[in-house]
Amino acid sequence: MREAVRAKGSGWEIWIASLGCLLGSCLLILAVQLYQDSKTIFGKQAPPSNFFTLNKKIHGGALVNMGKGEKTFSQEELDEIGRMEGIMRIGGFTRNKFPLTLYIWPSGKVGLGAAAKTDLFFESIPDDFLDFVPETWHWDEKSSIVPIIVPKFYLDLWNFGLAPARVEYPALSNEAATGMPIELFIGNNREATMEGRFVAFSKRINSVLVPKNFLDWANEKYGKPDAGQYFFLWKDGAVDGPPRTIEFLQSLPDDQKENGQVSPISSPAERKPISEILQGQEEVDDLHSRIIVQIEGSPSEAFLAQLEELHYEINREFPEQDLVKKITNSILLGTCVIGLLFSLSSIATFATSFRLIVSQASEPATNLLLLGFSSATLTKLFFSQFVRIFLLVFLPALALGAWLQSLLCQKATAYGIKLEAGLSVWTIGFALVYCIVFLMINLRVIRKSVDDLMR
Amino acid sequence: MRIELQSIRPHPIPEKLIPGSEIWATDLSIESGQKRLIAAQSGKGKSTLLHILYGLRKDFSGEALMDGYSVRKYTDAEWENIRRRKVSILFQDLKLFPQLNARENLSLIPEENPSAPSVDEMLTTVGMEDFGMQRVETLSFGQRQRIALLRALRKPFELLLLDEPFSHLDEENAIAASKLIEQMVELNKASLILSSLGDVPPISFDGKFSL
Repeated sequence: MREAVRAKGSGWEIWIASLGCLLGSCLLILAVQLYQDSKTIFGKQAPPSNFFTLNKKIHGGALVNMGKGEKTFSQEELDEIGRMEGIMRIGGFTRNKFPLTLYIWPSGKVGLGAAAKTDLFFESIPDDFLDFVPETWHWDEKSSIVPIIVPKFYLDLWNFGLAPARVEYPALSNEAATGMPIELFIGNNREATMEGRFVAFSKRINSVLVPKNFLDWANEKYGKPDAGQYFFLWKDGAVDGPPRTIEFLQSLPDDQKENGQVSPISSPAERKPISEILQGQEEVDDLHSRIIVQIEGSPSEAFLAQLEELHYEINREFPEQDLVKKITNSILLGTCVIGLLFSLSSIATFATSFRLIVSQASEPATNLLLLGFSSATLTKLFFSQFVRIFLLVFLPALALGAWLQSLLCQKATAYGIKLEAGLSVWTIGFALVYCIVFLMINLRVIRKSVDDLMR
Repeated sequence: MRIELQSIRPHPIPEKLIPGSEIWATDLSIESGQKRLIAAQSGKGKSTLLHILYGLRKDFSGEALMDGYSVRKYTDAEWENIRRRKVSILFQDLKLFPQLNARENLSLIPEENPSAPSVDEMLTTVGMEDFGMQRVETLSFGQRQRIALLRALRKPFELLLLDEPFSHLDEENAIAASKLIEQMVELNKASLILSSLGDVPPISFDGKFSL
């Protein structure tokens, strides 16, 4: 019977439809598998999180703020932030309390060529907030080098901003940048000189970081009181002498501490007992003006509104996993859409081709119907022809998808991501459903074409 | 199978051909087991009548009944069954499969008539024993006509419709084919309606209608 209805022509349509089916099926299968793989990767790791720094808003111009102390977060405020929705943990920034100047020698040797000179600051955060802890991230009093982490985009700014504009500054690779000697001059009069190195470039923290124990040590040794730690001492209703430091107030006799009064230099009229200032100062030492928070997922509108209400300023650090996840999802979605388009066009081409095949074989097919063969028998005849072609295309597509996935697994292993090679049960289930849908659509088309023969 | 025609008027037949016809616009019946000859010149509607009885045309007024049931009312599935088991037809244009050989054409039927002789016997009866393995497209029209006739006889039937089955046969072959037809009709206790251009084949008909 097959021989009786064999039609000539329509070969190229079948080839095009087969190619579309091969590509579409392969892409769809791959997209489904990669979606599951990405879920496995993101599922194994900590839930997607983002990091933010928070500080209190600064209002007014330079003159208004001159002499005012830092706006630090009190313990109550930190507790309140900790209770906010999605907050996973909070860490404080410690900053340097001494003037700091850096000489960076891009030539790789101190004194050779031009140095990039800059006044800078150091900050430190708890190590577990770092995106990674370099092996050389260690300092003790015997260390000759202070390790420094700077944001990756500082290096980009150097390479694509500063270096092209200044002939004496070469562009630097990561390796070259980590080899640059850096001279650290501490104090206004360079009381101390130390050597530093960039040990890593962070994509998470937007600050110049040094190990916390170094900063604590340096602050202790070279720290200067800032403007917020100078006070007017009041005596007999008038200011007595120049602004005094905390250390001076601490050295006063106990009775004077109890009865004497001081006022901050930023608001001289606000007189307070010396004892109160000294007590508050102990707490201030432990407080931070800038904090880093880790939150789960992306911040909600309510969370951002709450921060605004509290007059906190938020600086979003670099969203890593969130961004990776978004990119991965976009790629998967793109693959899925392309695969779907290929598959749909292949279904359409197959449908057209088989309508054409039935129509080209209409004379013998009609003769068979006239002989008493049922339209179901004829549909089965054409459909089995389609199934053979479809399976010849679909099975290689499945194999190709599995092969590409295993190839990607190998690549992923090279990046330290462990993935199971091969298609999952879900993917095979999806492939089966896809196969059934593809077959059903074409069965319907063929059945209709056969039924139309006798009309 | 009993056939009744009640005032049948096929739409493609010109009105002027209707008066004088013994079939169109009259009531008649063909009883089960009867053999009837429909004789007419070309264009009078012989094939049209056979196609109506085979469920291929519905463009007529009046009523055609098979075993008391209107041919209009059969569903597609019922027609499939009728064509498979109850009515067999030899079309004027034969409707063979040219790329298949004679034997393959004879085998390509949905159901075999249990009372039919073997393919070899049938081929021998009509003088086609040497052409069984030959592709139909290489046979003469007369040879093809005999193959198509054999195919119609190899299907089960209660009504056999033959549209000018001897138009390209010589007398000797027409006689041999006629004998086989009569034999198969008798064996199947079937009715026969045979159309011809006017000559009467050597078959003992129960009656003749002129169109």
